[in-house]
Amino acid sequence: MHVPFCSIIPPYMLRRLAQQDAPEFSSAASAARKALGHVESFQAARSQVVPPLAPGLRPEKPGPVNRAVYDAGGDETLPGRPVREEGGPATGDASADEAYDGLGNTHRLYADAFGRDSVDGRGLKLDATVHFGKLYDNAFWNGSQMVFGDGDGDVFERFTKSVSVIGHELAHGVTQYTAGLVYRNQAGALNESMSDVFGALVEQYVKNQTTAQASWLIGEGLFTPKVQGRALRSMKAPGTAYDDDVLGKDPQPDSMDSYVRTSADNGGVHINSGIPNRAFYLVAEALGGCAWEAPGRIWYETLTNGSLPPAATFTVFARATVRAAADLFGPESPEHDAVGEAWETVKVKV
Amino acid sequence: MKIKVERTGGIAAITRVWTVDARTDSDLSQWQPIVEACPWDAVPSTPRAAAAAFAAPQPDRFIYSITAGQRRAALPEHALTGPWRILVDTARAAAEEAGGPLPGADTDGPA
Repeated sequence: MHVPFCSIIPPYMLRRLAQQDAPEFSSAASAARKALGHVESFQAARSQVVPPLAPGLRPEKPGPVNRAVYDAGGDETLPGRPVREEGGPATGDASADEAYDGLGNTHRLYADAFGRDSVDGRGLKLDATVHFGKLYDNAFWNGSQMVFGDGDGDVFERFTKSVSVIGHELAHGVTQYTAGLVYRNQAGALNESMSDVFGALVEQYVKNQTTAQASWLIGEGLFTPKVQGRALRSMKAPGTAYDDDVLGKDPQPDSMDSYVRTSADNGGVHINSGIPNRAFYLVAEALGGCAWEAPGRIWYETLTNGSLPPAATFTVFARATVRAAADLFGPESPEHDAVGEAWETVKVKV
Repeated sequence: MKIKVERTGGIAAITRVWTVDARTDSDLSQWQPIVEACPWDAVPSTPRAAAAAFAAPQPDRFIYSITAGQRRAALPEHALTGPWRILVDTARAAAEEAGGPLPGADTDGPA
């Protein structure tokens, strides 16, 4: 049982006031800090009725990353032979070293941009296995670790070559520990989209790119030169990532007008993810700057604040992002407006 | 007997299809034991049924739909073990040797 707490001055405004350090604002700032102290203790009490998901922001600073890379040697037994541990030297094997760096960069984005300590928010050790299977043209998260194939050399190169793919896989772990979006139909497409969003953000963070500079492609560079295609998916322009005589055309829709009803791919989770992907891109495009900042924070807040049910639909998710934007930036803010307009553009009812 | 393996899902979500047409007596004597070894009645027959039967799919793993003659089965990648794995690997190898699989939405590969 909790008592609703209503503050005249909304928390986001108190936070802004509390941060003012010009001398003329010093009493306002100090009053705001006191008030925030009250708000935070009420919110802490209230937060006990929220399901016990690992909170995104913990009072302690995230700890250092703890990684391990294993080599499956072409077999499918996991994890395989350890080849690099945290702090260990480069192995000279491109897959192993790319996985190691990718794990580190993903940990760094979550820590720096969102204050999150690893996939579970509690410093979970990050394990990756490379050289899984023979000519295995895939990468996946198995519930506890990442697994990468070498590609078939015909259509696909090795899957560690793409930072966005590494980030995508680890983000499945984050979703597992937070909203737990069911991997089926619209909830599954949201799960997939979360992985594309945070995968893209890792790549942009590593390259220090603004929204305008970024490619917004997932899995860029994975295709061999013989494929007519740039990447697995485009968040900016779903449906345009590839068009090849053998592979076919990128099937992603960019709005609800072309939503795909299918029983393949767990109900089209990698297909309909194009719609929320484009919504995220549109928010980032409207706000400018670096996408891991306001847009990333809104999406991260939505994912981790306990408000998303595991079977969320696009509409439920869209509403949650609008609320998160209002909570973080204010209901009259450009951030809040950008989120509403993005969903309108992709025709998801809010 | 026509044997068809369709693979969907994966992080790239590109559908691939491998088919084998076992026509001669010699073909059938090779394929029949491999097909018979699979417990067709014990597994779901469509991807939709497989999704319902297997809880919590691992993200970005494949889903296999297999037909052999009149029989159908659908399995997530992690359940493709034992005789199913043998059937799929053998069908893929035969289709690739015969002239390459045709990845693509709904076209069958060459025999």
